[in-house]
Amino acid sequence: MSATPVTREKVTPSLAARGIAGGAASADAVPSGRRVRARQRRRAQLTAWAFIAPVVIYLVVFYAYPLYRNLDLSFRDYTLRSFIDGTADFVWFDNYAKVLSNSTFAPALLNTAVFTGVSIIFQFSIGLALAVFFFRNFPLATTLRALFLVPWLLPLLVSASIWAWMLNSESGIVNALIQALGGPQINWLTSPEWALVSVLIANIWIGIPFNLVILYSGLQGIPSDVYEAASLDGASGWQTFWRITVPLLRPVSAITILLGLVYTLKVFDIIWIMTRGGPVNASTTLSIWSYRLGFGGQSPDLSPAAAVGNLLIILAFIFGLIYIRAQRRLATP
Amino acid sequence: MIQRGNIVNNTARKSRILGALVLSTALVGGLAACTTTPTGGDSAGGTFTLWDPYPDRDASSTWAQAIDACATDLGITIERNAGNTGDTVKDLTTAASNLPDIAMVDNPKVSTLADAGLLTTTDENGFDVSDISANILSAGEIDGKVYGVPVGANTLGLYYNPAVLDAAGVDIASVTDYASLTAALEKVVASGKKGITFSAVGTEEGSFQFLPWFWGAGADLTALDSSESEAALTLWTDWVQKGYAPNSVLSNTQGTSWDEFKTGDFAFAENGSWFKSDADANGFLSIQVPGIDGGVAPAPTGGEFITIPVQKDASRYATSAKIVKCLSEGDTGATALGYVAPTQAGADAQLAADPTLEFWIGAVGDAKPRTADNLGVSYGIISEQLYTAVQAALSGSASPAEALATAQATAVENLK
Amino acid sequence: MTHSRTWWKTLIGVLLTGIMLFPLYWMINVSVTQPTDLRRDPPNLFPVNPTFAGYSTVVSEQLPYLGTSLLVGLGTVALTLALSAPAAFALAKLRPVGGTAVNFVLLIAQMIPGIIMAMGFYLIFNSWGLLDTIPGLILADSTLAVPFGVLIFTAFMSGIPNELLSAAKIDGASAWRTFWSVVLPVSRNSVVTVSLFTFLWAWSDFIFASTLNRGGDLQPITIGIYKYIGNNTQDWNAIMATAVVASVPAAILLVVAQRYVAAGVTAGAVKD
Repeated sequence: MSATPVTREKVTPSLAARGIAGGAASADAVPSGRRVRARQRRRAQLTAWAFIAPVVIYLVVFYAYPLYRNLDLSFRDYTLRSFIDGTADFVWFDNYAKVLSNSTFAPALLNTAVFTGVSIIFQFSIGLALAVFFFRNFPLATTLRALFLVPWLLPLLVSASIWAWMLNSESGIVNALIQALGGPQINWLTSPEWALVSVLIANIWIGIPFNLVILYSGLQGIPSDVYEAASLDGASGWQTFWRITVPLLRPVSAITILLGLVYTLKVFDIIWIMTRGGPVNASTTLSIWSYRLGFGGQSPDLSPAAAVGNLLIILAFIFGLIYIRAQRRLATP
Repeated sequence: MIQRGNIVNNTARKSRILGALVLSTALVGGLAACTTTPTGGDSAGGTFTLWDPYPDRDASSTWAQAIDACATDLGITIERNAGNTGDTVKDLTTAASNLPDIAMVDNPKVSTLADAGLLTTTDENGFDVSDISANILSAGEIDGKVYGVPVGANTLGLYYNPAVLDAAGVDIASVTDYASLTAALEKVVASGKKGITFSAVGTEEGSFQFLPWFWGAGADLTALDSSESEAALTLWTDWVQKGYAPNSVLSNTQGTSWDEFKTGDFAFAENGSWFKSDADANGFLSIQVPGIDGGVAPAPTGGEFITIPVQKDASRYATSAKIVKCLSEGDTGATALGYVAPTQAGADAQLAADPTLEFWIGAVGDAKPRTADNLGVSYGIISEQLYTAVQAALSGSASPAEALATAQATAVENLK
Repeated sequence: MTHSRTWWKTLIGVLLTGIMLFPLYWMINVSVTQPTDLRRDPPNLFPVNPTFAGYSTVVSEQLPYLGTSLLVGLGTVALTLALSAPAAFALAKLRPVGGTAVNFVLLIAQMIPGIIMAMGFYLIFNSWGLLDTIPGLILADSTLAVPFGVLIFTAFMSGIPNELLSAAKIDGASAWRTFWSVVLPVSRNSVVTVSLFTFLWAWSDFIFASTLNRGGDLQPITIGIYKYIGNNTQDWNAIMATAVVASVPAAILLVVAQRYVAAGVTAGAVKD
């Protein structure tokens, strides 16, 4: 809503300007048009890359080394000693073979899929519902929407501890409520059936503000006259939502879901603080497993840990490819 | 419209200025740091770094004061720097190129770090360990070499709440073995109170707390699937299933478990000597964990070792050794941390100062290090399987026998 | 009629916010609960017999940490915006060769486990002398947000009509000027969004702070909280009190930032 008036006002004169400019350019381009265009294209590329260069340099300096390091770790047999004397045998895919044949792999992969899938579905739909709700002007809407962000201010250490506290089997408020209503004691964090549900609840709670804010800014980008036209046509709220909001919000939705995927895949603190992936492997995801192998257990197995980490990166890679393909399809209808 | 544009431009401008500021600070900071980074610390005095796992002890704590006093005595500066004990290995690994002069390490991790070549031996750093009680020191001993000095030791005992026991009609003297303890718990629960709380969390703390029962049943860490081991795990599992112990023990740290005990609802709590003063204040008393058929179960020793990590500049060791000596001598460090001193002389001094320490000094004397029985580095791998088995059995994911069989098989596999 | 309808919406909004913020209420409740009641079964719904010991500890010890966190948060926002907005503009509108690849790398970059990043940074910072410094922490924290910033900005800037840009070009504006005075103002919403999240990430970062600023004189609030987690004990009163105190200035900042967007929105609506 905020952006559109500006856009619309400036669009109108610019369209006129383009008409004139188009004519001028074609008149100008009569002589060596191809060479000029090639030079222009090169100039345009240079300009574009001047804008991108800082980020690329930044990526190389700060991401390439850790990434290389992670790859290197996963192809070698690193022990703590290797950090001192710098030697570690190159073992090709041994660590990957070890990890893939480990009995923790299957449950960890399944838990990762469930955790990521369920988290995203709930975070996104709740976030979207709230964004649409708060988008209607009503007293206090802005303040309440801002308050929804406050959970983000808590360091994960604190919010995960709070959830662990509330879901405690004996002294947790959630069980106190359930029992007051006549229900049984649910061992949220400590039973194999509920541990994953518990960390899911906490993670969905933490993810709602993110989805809400991004989708809300997305809604602001939809021109208000589209809605006005729809309401003049007598469309119901539900029709407006499905016919206008959803399609126009698609690019922002896609990026929200993709980022949600990437972040949820590597969620670590929440699960680690609440259940440590337990009991046994009931809430172990790939990122928990990676950390446990590397530093959470008693004996650091850095190389298998890096291998699991790289498997996660490959998963993200696949989702990234899917996203880019989907984006291409959107761009070329 | 115009107004709005201005607002935007203003923020944009502000953030640009801020950005430039930050970038230039980053550059200046980087350059400044480059020029001032010392290349060696062999000049007289100098600054020494000490990492400890006590973030809760701030600059005004007796522990920090003990360090300051040592620094003043030696005419040096000690930069103290505290991190969580669970992160010690990670932190030291990360800093492998830039290790601190002194690192305080939880005793079962000494062997892991020593094996990695991160720590110096007493031969290299020239420290005398002859006075230190053998059962405490042995956690830092591998193949006859000593990799550090215990600052002090703690251990576990069985605290009880006399008020709850009296109300349930339980005489503490009747609690002498596993069966009589279970009978006492049954009586307490029948009286409407709660039985026992402990920590069976899926970390080293869980193993630490299980070991008295494990060892008390006669089990050995090299055979997790023995019938003695099963007896110990069945004891805990039954307690949880019958409601003598709360289900929350599965997620309790020792601190959380103590908070549960402090509500006054519980009859017993297995916990550490570090809660002695809090127990005194609340009127709780303690006994040692009994063995399966009577007697006293060996409890594990807890507490950190003061170690001297490897330095590029070997001339620093001499001063580092003096710092270690200052902190571990007598009972200075131990008393500051609430531990039992590692030497007989130190423990005697503590007892003279506070006669109520007698119980815990005795308990530490009976305690056994976790890495004993020549386990060394293997302890970590076995312990991980042990607490996993405890979690599996108590959560109902597997029977005690199944859980322990899996644990033994995995431990053997991982030890290869 | 409309008045009563919006009134209902406000009520529902308050209710939803209440549910969402219940864990925060619980945090406040825990922060003033007597240590002997912390694990009461059932728990006290309201702080009966409250203790403010946690708060007095926090107020006397934690204020410098708050200042550091604020500085780190703002610095990270500035750096992230400076890096990501221009790049996103180019990716969205200037069609650079290899743009897709850059986008892709940015996506993957976010997947590197934090702990691996931290270990890499440790080595780099150790040789650059940036360990235990605020600029170092700002640089590290910005890696949490720069890829996010670029992706979000790209998504939003792609939606800006090309006509708007060509118009600026015709007026003789350079690419930079177009970016600065046309694209950026129009993308204000995404600037606020990216800034908010960047700030929040930097504010709640723990892994970088604990690895890269272990011994600095200026440490952020997450490390401050860590001080209350001892070897075998946790001072929950102080931990939760710190979290409460730490949330207050940042929450005010959030509400103000949100109001700021809202002011723009209504101004626009009225003028329209």
